[in-house]
Amino acid sequence: MSERDQRILRYGSIAVAIYLILFFGRQFLEKQRTDYRKLVTQAQDLREQNQPYADRIALVKKMMDDYNLDPAKLRKASVVAEASAAIQNSARTGGVGLGPIRESATSGTSKQVATIQIEGSGSVASVLGFMSNLDRIGFPLVIDSAQITAGNNQPGQIKVALTIVILDFDQWKGTPHA
Amino acid sequence: MKNIINQPDIYFEIGASTLLAVRATDSAEWPLERSPDGRLTAASKAALTAQLKHFLSPKPWQPRVRALCAINARGVSVRQLSLPIGAKEEFHDRLLLQIESEFPLSPDELAWGYQTLGRSPSGTLAKQDLLVAAVKKEIVADYQEMFAAGHATPIFTLASLARNCLCPQPDGSHALLDIGEQQSELTVFANGVPVSSRIIFWALGANPDPLAQTLKSSLTGTTIFISGKNIPDDFAGQLTRRLGLNWNCERLAASPDKKSSAAILGLKRLAGTNGEPPLLIRVNSGQSAGSPTTPDTKQWVMRAVILIAALLVLPYLEAILLKAHLAKTVAQYQTEAVRLKMVDRELDFLRYLKQNQPPYLNAMYVFAQSVSPGTKFDSITMNSHGDVSLRASFGGGQQVTDFRSKLIDSGTFTNVIVEEQSPGRHGPQVDVRMTAHWKAGAPWPIVKPPPAEADKNAVTKPALPTAPTVRKEMN
Repeated sequence: MSERDQRILRYGSIAVAIYLILFFGRQFLEKQRTDYRKLVTQAQDLREQNQPYADRIALVKKMMDDYNLDPAKLRKASVVAEASAAIQNSARTGGVGLGPIRESATSGTSKQVATIQIEGSGSVASVLGFMSNLDRIGFPLVIDSAQITAGNNQPGQIKVALTIVILDFDQWKGTPHA
Repeated sequence: MKNIINQPDIYFEIGASTLLAVRATDSAEWPLERSPDGRLTAASKAALTAQLKHFLSPKPWQPRVRALCAINARGVSVRQLSLPIGAKEEFHDRLLLQIESEFPLSPDELAWGYQTLGRSPSGTLAKQDLLVAAVKKEIVADYQEMFAAGHATPIFTLASLARNCLCPQPDGSHALLDIGEQQSELTVFANGVPVSSRIIFWALGANPDPLAQTLKSSLTGTTIFISGKNIPDDFAGQLTRRLGLNWNCERLAASPDKKSSAAILGLKRLAGTNGEPPLLIRVNSGQSAGSPTTPDTKQWVMRAVILIAALLVLPYLEAILLKAHLAKTVAQYQTEAVRLKMVDRELDFLRYLKQNQPPYLNAMYVFAQSVSPGTKFDSITMNSHGDVSLRASFGGGQQVTDFRSKLIDSGTFTNVIVEEQSPGRHGPQVDVRMTAHWKAGAPWPIVKPPPAEADKNAVTKPALPTAPTVRKEMN
């Protein structure tokens, strides 16, 4: 083999090697680039999706402050006991004398976890203050019905019978925008 | 912009004892120290290199500036050669052979260049006439190194050729006499081609007679154009008178000022007319076919190639380098998105809680505002669906009517029905049983809660209901 042939062979090998490197290297690089572009698009979509949440977060925070309530901390297993204790505590501190209290669980599919029937008596201011404070004791309570009657003997005293519903936050966990 | 990238040419005249540089309106002149063999001394070369760097002020991002250099006749040999016309590939080899035979040194030891003059038939064989100029390689190589250090690309040519451009008829036959401060240079042109060139050791201010004798011995009667600095106006006349009849001495019309020389003016004219002088002296004969700006062109081409390669590679490089970082960012966004879904649920839950809070206190406030003094409520029953029933004792039938009217006028109740109204046991009193329904989304007045039992000590007289702040409830 002459020197010229060797040179041609050498240059040919180099050219083929460069071609192979470019061919396979380009495929690898193209794949990397395609993946990268997908990631960029995904990141942009997620960012656009998350952007409007600033207002919602502020609103949730304000409502949580208003109700003194953090739904994420509610535990279904203990919420009834804790809410009942908080209601009784609020009545005592508000000057409302408590009568019979009845708790009843509700079906699993409804938005309520339990119903509490409570009777009490006290001055007009105490009873109304107690009713007003129920939505700020840290539990999702809704007064389903209220019956206020005049006291038997003492002037200025009234009796109250409330049916209070405890909402079940777990029912919202599965279905956003319920 | 063009001047920022491509700087204007700089002109140099390399004399026997000085180096004159002219750039636009600037000029400088430095002394040269030579060793007996004509080369610059090491000290002179070093000093000159530093001065050139300072004068040229090279910018690394700019291409090399072109330096047009006129070499004086000292050490330069000029020959007119005729080469048989043949294949172009063999032309260079034949020229080298001719140079080797005509000049005292081999072409490898010479810096040389040629200019094509034309074709001349010689018998049956057509020949190519060439003008070849050569000088010892080391001498020109020294200059080339100095200019290269100053980021300049030198182009060497003969000073006499440059001066000839200033003659009224550059293609004519005449002689050029350039008078210097220590020596003079005489070049004879025939039909615009330099046929001989020599140094005459006669300086300005000396007796012109020896000069005239030298000229007479070198030439037959002809026209001599005189150039040089500080030449008296009547010097050409004096020289003509000494030479006698058939001689005509004239001063070059375009005489140089103190900052320039005839050679530099000629270089400027050559550069302006043709771009570069017709005869270029090159240190390396192998580069004869190339342009003197080739290295810069190569550099710029290389830069362009690098830029294009970067343009092609950067998107891929970005993908490889930033992919990991972007994946982390996406993961963060995804985690945040899950957390934000929880925020959605919490918001829905809290809204539901707010919307389902029955307005019991607001309703009782409206009752309190609507009844007449003396009315006694026995019981009030309300539920979250808005159904209200009450039992009360009013002072008379008119009070019942007023109470109902006020409830309806408040805009918060509807279906106010007196189910039963019966006379009371004491005087005009009437016992009433009523039902009503509050409107969904009614504009309830906002009622501040009464102070709690624990806060009673701080409040002397509890007010129920307290003064309302009336506004429309926004659900």
